[in-house]
Amino acid sequence: MNEKFQDAKNRYRSADIPPELDFAVASALREGERRRRQRRWQSRTLASLAACCASFVLLVNASPAFASAVYQVPVLGDLARVVTVTEYSIADGERLIDVRLPAVEDTGHSDLEQRINTEIQTRIDAVLAEAQARAEETKEAFVATGGDPDEFMPVIIDVDYEVKCRNDQYLSFVIFKTETKASAYTEFFCYNIDLETGTDLTLQDMLGPNYKEIANQVIREEIARRSQDPDNVYFDGTDGIQGFQSIAADQPFYINEAGNPVVVFEKYEIAPGYMGQQEFEIPVPQA
Amino acid sequence: MKLQPPDIRRLLADYIVSHQEDFYRLAFSYVKNRDAALDVVQESIVKALAKADTLREPAYLRTWFYRILLNESMNHFRRLSRILPLEDLEQQSAPAGRDPGERLDLYDAIDRLDLKEQAVIRLRFFEDMKLEEIARATGANLNTVKSRLYKALKKLRDMTGEDLRDE
Repeated sequence: MNEKFQDAKNRYRSADIPPELDFAVASALREGERRRRQRRWQSRTLASLAACCASFVLLVNASPAFASAVYQVPVLGDLARVVTVTEYSIADGERLIDVRLPAVEDTGHSDLEQRINTEIQTRIDAVLAEAQARAEETKEAFVATGGDPDEFMPVIIDVDYEVKCRNDQYLSFVIFKTETKASAYTEFFCYNIDLETGTDLTLQDMLGPNYKEIANQVIREEIARRSQDPDNVYFDGTDGIQGFQSIAADQPFYINEAGNPVVVFEKYEIAPGYMGQQEFEIPVPQA
Repeated sequence: MKLQPPDIRRLLADYIVSHQEDFYRLAFSYVKNRDAALDVVQESIVKALAKADTLREPAYLRTWFYRILLNESMNHFRRLSRILPLEDLEQQSAPAGRDPGERLDLYDAIDRLDLKEQAVIRLRFFEDMKLEEIARATGANLNTVKSRLYKALKKLRDMTGEDLRDE
């Protein structure tokens, strides 16, 4: 090998190895094994379920800053086995993207799996393509206005998920994508799927035919309660901005641990931007 | 050769324990901080073990693990760069090669390459990987690796003024 590289290699190899490394590695091995078992156990649980429901809510958040990092989306939950189907990262002058796309397995409904998986894939692909186009536009605009291309901060995109409910009835998870850039917007894509029948699960399925009245009532009371705190502001019709009227027929929701639907409103939808995304749990009426 | 998952996992754990110092050095070369490097190594191991079942081919074990380790190292580096004040960063990665009279030591010059070029150089010269292995470890195709190596060597030549042929 070239002598200069040999020197550099010697310097590289001379880095002091901290004495804690042994311990750090051993504990990481245990933790990794624990997580792997957890996943396997989860997949077996699901296989034994006669009926369960999945609710899939995809939330897209975009907020200010620059670089683009998509976070890994690992296991979805205890009940369904989720495997990583696509994994890649992109880092260049415009974006920092790291993508790991999940897919559901072993639900006992191959049509359903295929549909959910295709939907996740298509959704995230489209969302990333858009983010990418925006990143390029932003950079062009930055350079066109006299910015040094080398100083452009790449757009960072974060994709992560949270399991909202996993019991023997429902599987509900939310995927969110955070794009950090100069202006913010939020977008939700919702899928609520009944694993037993392989069809979409709606608020009506969960709350009954009067689902709108039930949900609206709860939301109005909750807005009134939260508004007692002067820090919480909801649009109420003053300044010509219409406040909460009624949920839409296709209002996004996920299912929480208690098995109740939680209705989600986008940032700006019913309250000023600083209030962020607003969520309301709607208790399922006892039959 | 195909192995059963428990064998693969044992192989993986053995490999990790016996090469932990290499992992630490590579992580350290990115994050330049002992605690951060330990974090990167730990996080990579946890991820690798948790997805051990996706590793089917023992021959790819090393490059499979390095891919996780590189991703973690680069992500950590980016997070750090976002937290550090701009001035600090500018000082650190100060004008590379702007002064033609200034000659850098090769080891320091490598830090000024972009993250993926750093990966190619370190895997090639410090970990003695073949180009095909580097391609697997970085998730790039072979031609991309070749052109990255070529570009990186050219930059290093400019920065150090040394003749750096890859023999």
